[in-house]
Amino acid sequence: MSALLALSNVQVLYDHTIEAVRDVSLEIEEGRIVALLGSNGAGKSTILKAISGILGQEDGEIVGGSIAFAGHDLRRASPASIVARGLVQVPEGRALFATLTVEENLVMGGYGLSRADTETGLEEVYSLFPRVRERRGQISGYLSGGEQQMVAIGRAIMAKPRLLMLDEPSLGLAPQIIDSIFDTIVGLNGSRGLTVLLVEQNAQLALSVASRGYIIENGRIVLDGMAETLRTNPDVQEFYLGFGTSGTRKSMRDVKHYKRRKRWLS
Amino acid sequence: MDFLLLLISAGLVSGAAYGMIAMGFALIYKATGVVNFAQGELVMLTAYVAFSIAGAVDLGFWSLLAVTVPIAMAIGLTLERIFIRPMLGEPAFAIVMVTIGLAVILRGVTIMIWGPDPLDFAAGLSREVITLGPIPFYPAQLYAIGCLAILVGLAYGFLRYTRVGIAMRAVAANETAALLMGVSVKRIHAVAWSLSSAIAAVAGILFAANFKLGPDMWFQGLRSFPALILGGLDSLIGAAIGGLIIGVVETLAQGYLGQGLREIAGFVVIVVILMVRPYGLFGARDIERV
Ligand SMILES: Nc1ncnc2c1ncn2[C@@H]1O[C@H](COP(=O)(O)OP(=O)(O)OP(=O)(O)O)[C@@H](O)[C@H]1O
Ligand SMILES: [Mg+2]
Repeated sequence: MSALLALSNVQVLYDHTIEAVRDVSLEIEEGRIVALLGSNGAGKSTILKAISGILGQEDGEIVGGSIAFAGHDLRRASPASIVARGLVQVPEGRALFATLTVEENLVMGGYGLSRADTETGLEEVYSLFPRVRERRGQISGYLSGGEQQMVAIGRAIMAKPRLLMLDEPSLGLAPQIIDSIFDTIVGLNGSRGLTVLLVEQNAQLALSVASRGYIIENGRIVLDGMAETLRTNPDVQEFYLGFGTSGTRKSMRDVKHYKRRKRWLS
Repeated sequence: MDFLLLLISAGLVSGAAYGMIAMGFALIYKATGVVNFAQGELVMLTAYVAFSIAGAVDLGFWSLLAVTVPIAMAIGLTLERIFIRPMLGEPAFAIVMVTIGLAVILRGVTIMIWGPDPLDFAAGLSREVITLGPIPFYPAQLYAIGCLAILVGLAYGFLRYTRVGIAMRAVAANETAALLMGVSVKRIHAVAWSLSSAIAAVAGILFAANFKLGPDMWFQGLRSFPALILGGLDSLIGAAIGGLIIGVVETLAQGYLGQGLREIAGFVVIVVILMVRPYGLFGARDIERV
């Protein structure tokens, strides 16, 4: 079996000194939804930045390990070439081009495309998100959080992804909006076999749509397995799903191998 | 009344020059977040290049422009490649220092090649006076105002409707997100430098035709600062309008208040306006929501 995306022993330093991620290995098979779960500062976004080749923006660097996408080594690839291969990211906090209109944001998502492909791409995004079509001429910075997340996902879809990485798409959104966005993601996965790497703090939600999950703490993968197995794992239940056996949630500090603080949402 | 109209028309002409120079500044600032302190020197250098071309072949104004602009773009690309590209990722302050160094180098090179004395340069334009209503104009004056209008139109179309232009605004809005969309930020910076040099060439030729071509012309870069800041630093159209306003205010101050006030009038205007509108007349405010 060969995974579509494979990370092996990836280590990332910021400013040559701060180790944010250590020995991270994960594999994503084509057509799957895989969840990457962890608390604040665990290293989730760092892993996505490493995959997209944009660590340089923050003085970060991959100092060990390898990242392969469809057999190609990505460690020294440019962000543009990574996108061109179909590995596309919806960054944390949407990161829209706030001063551009909604449609201009989408056009930028398909930056490498021909004019005709841009047109069909826009049509596709608009039929996926009718709300985005209504707002196409507006300055994106003034949209609501939910609309912005739709534009951010639409912008990534414009790039014709083979694997879509989403960094905490549920963050700060109302439950119905989260449901509709997750329905869309699951729909894309089902209808066209889009592979998804879903980064979330909301473990309940993520494990309900993913087939596999990885749990990261302090820059290391501490647990991985089928979503079903993770959901029934007592530690995960206690610390990530909020089902403390004692009825009250224990502090993370009480348990040796989980050292991180965390607000257990969901 | 005629005196007032005369002052306003003279103000619009020098304002058009400020506006074109400030547009070059604004373009590089918008795309790269750096004020290019060598912009005035680029204006001067490209004007001298045009002078030499006009000396070698007899060209009308538009043909001279058509030959000079591509050369200016090549100069801009080369300077970006040699001086600015290696600084990518360094703090803006360090890059600004490099542009100051570049400015000094360009001044030296200009004097080495063309000598220290002012030159007469008609830029393929006639010097016959045209009267529009009660006001006499030299053709070069009308061309300056006309070219400013053309540049504004081109800049608007470029930033709004072309893919590279939209990408330039995207890089200005969120550089990391632009990278994530496959935009090459390096390419966008290079495009900004070459287009800014093209604008500098138009500005330089018309300034030289209206005033004079001399090795102190780089100083017009600093004189255009009030226009740039008034327009909001990152707005090309704002820079053009800012230029016209500053030009008119300066000549009115000179005409009614006295020579010495011309130099400070522009700076007084920006101090007053920035107190009311800290982002200038057209600058992008940070949109904060989420
Ligand atoms: N630019 C940076 N420079 C230095 N350290 C950084 C930088 N970015 C992240 N870090 C550190 O790396 C670690 C991992 O951060 P990362 O952003 O990957 O976490 P995360 O899992 O995405 O957290 P969150 O859920 O809060 O988004 C943290 O300890 C953080 O402080
Ligand atoms: Mg994060």
